[in-house]
Amino acid sequence: MQTWDLEDFGEVKSEKLKSELLTVNMGPQHPATHGVLRVEIKTDSEVVAEAIPHIGYLHRCMEKHCEALDYRGVIPFVDRMDYLASMSQEWTYVLAVEKLLGTEVPKRAEYIRIIVAELQRIASHLMAFGTYALDLGAFSPFLYAFEERETILRLFEEVSGARLLYNYIWIGGVWNDFSDEQLKRVQAFIKHMDKEVDKYNNLVSHNRIFVERTANVGILTLEDIRQFGATGPVARGSGYAWDLRKVEPYGLYDQFEFDIPVGEGEEGTVGDCWNRYMVRMKEMKESIKIIQQALDGIEAGDIQGKVSKVIKPPKGEVYMRTECPRGELGIHLVSDGSKNPYRLKVKSPCFTHTSMLGHMGPGQMIADFVASIGSIDIVLGEVDR
Amino acid sequence: MHNEIAELINSKLPEAKATVTNPEVGDNSIVVEAESIKAVCKLLKKNKEYSFNSLQVISGVDYTDHIEVNYFLNNLDLKAPRQLQLKTKLEDRINPTLDSVTSIWKAADWQERECFDMLGVTFKGHPDPRRILCPDDWTGFPLRRDYMAPKVYNGMEVFPESKMNTADREFKVRQKMIEKAAKAAASEAEGEE
Repeated sequence: MQTWDLEDFGEVKSEKLKSELLTVNMGPQHPATHGVLRVEIKTDSEVVAEAIPHIGYLHRCMEKHCEALDYRGVIPFVDRMDYLASMSQEWTYVLAVEKLLGTEVPKRAEYIRIIVAELQRIASHLMAFGTYALDLGAFSPFLYAFEERETILRLFEEVSGARLLYNYIWIGGVWNDFSDEQLKRVQAFIKHMDKEVDKYNNLVSHNRIFVERTANVGILTLEDIRQFGATGPVARGSGYAWDLRKVEPYGLYDQFEFDIPVGEGEEGTVGDCWNRYMVRMKEMKESIKIIQQALDGIEAGDIQGKVSKVIKPPKGEVYMRTECPRGELGIHLVSDGSKNPYRLKVKSPCFTHTSMLGHMGPGQMIADFVASIGSIDIVLGEVDR
Repeated sequence: MHNEIAELINSKLPEAKATVTNPEVGDNSIVVEAESIKAVCKLLKKNKEYSFNSLQVISGVDYTDHIEVNYFLNNLDLKAPRQLQLKTKLEDRINPTLDSVTSIWKAADWQERECFDMLGVTFKGHPDPRRILCPDDWTGFPLRRDYMAPKVYNGMEVFPESKMNTADREFKVRQKMIEKAAKAAASEAEGEE
């Protein structure tokens, strides 16, 4: 067997070695990008020197479609933006139309809306939890998360007829009523879920390997949050207790008691990936509290308010924003008095958060950059609309 | 709140001509001149009494005779949470131009790119003025009211007749719907005349 000596290759002089940045494309089809996102990374050995996100692979121009639809017909399109939190998206759009029309919603419908929106928040955060652990190489939390998420989806399927894209919250109320038996099942589920969250915390949150991968990675300061206008768990992970359910209560949220969890830096520093992740885990507990209060307060009654057959809101424009699982979703709705919306502009939280990737990337290892993408929890359907 | 902010803008920047709209339905907003939008944004960010430390969204609306650009400003401060809709009108629909506010809020970077992509508003001084959602070689601005989807893209015909499955049931249903809509539009136009 031939053996090699270093001298066989000639003299290696460091001045002669050229070093240049290597361009690597992460995506458009990469499991860590949570959809079809392409991040153009310029790498200096294993360190990211520059990261440029490219979006638009899922662009359907839903805003243009909506100009040709009537007000009720928009709801299924809104569902398809963030397909992991459709209930919250619907609610925002419906609230915008109701603000234009001045419709009153029956009390039972308001309670049902809160129950489904908070269940949706739990389902969405479970997905975030499961896929984030998967990004970092832990497979089993994903299965734990899907088991519980399945219970919520089964329940939604029973009341709305669909597993993901519901078309359930309607202008003036909700489509279908919850039976007493279903409410009992919600009660049983949240009781079970409360223990499950503790289990996840034991299993993953304080796991040494997980903490090593996420603590002190991808730190976002308060100034970054303000500059980029980030909201939701990303802003709260950096210590901003900004939650529209408290700041600008919509629905019946002003009658509910709950806390706003913020990043406290039990591990790592405030504003890093671990704190953003932990805010979601704590939020699930708060959602459980809210659902419990809603189940206690719900009364029999109508589920649909009075809305005319053809919806023609008066001329005007509104901006409605709500707290969705991924951040603040805003809808700017312009009506010209006809039966179609004149303009519907969606402010998507994921769009804002994706724009922060170019800021978070430089200086990180590539593996840490994957952790950063996962921690802001984006859904590309909402980024591209 | 809106009146005080409008007064503040007018006292510091008289050329902005800030006025408050009080519509019967919907939200109040402040209208300013397009030329002074950057100065107004800078003033509103720096002002101590009514500061707005983050930009939420830039929403453009095409009104066929002019383009309106709405800036939704937000104060991410728990002690004084407030929100403002800042409106500006662009009379020139062929070459609508505005000053970029990227140097004031970084959030404006992608929002302005989207506004350019969808409505063709050019932002002067933007560091990276590319399309964002549509491909770079796209022509036209989809969210303008008079936009027509291209029949040919990159030399390829969109929906070529030879490739359409005309025997499909769904195709027939859709064709019927299109015919019905065209008929309804024609009868509506007749009624107006």
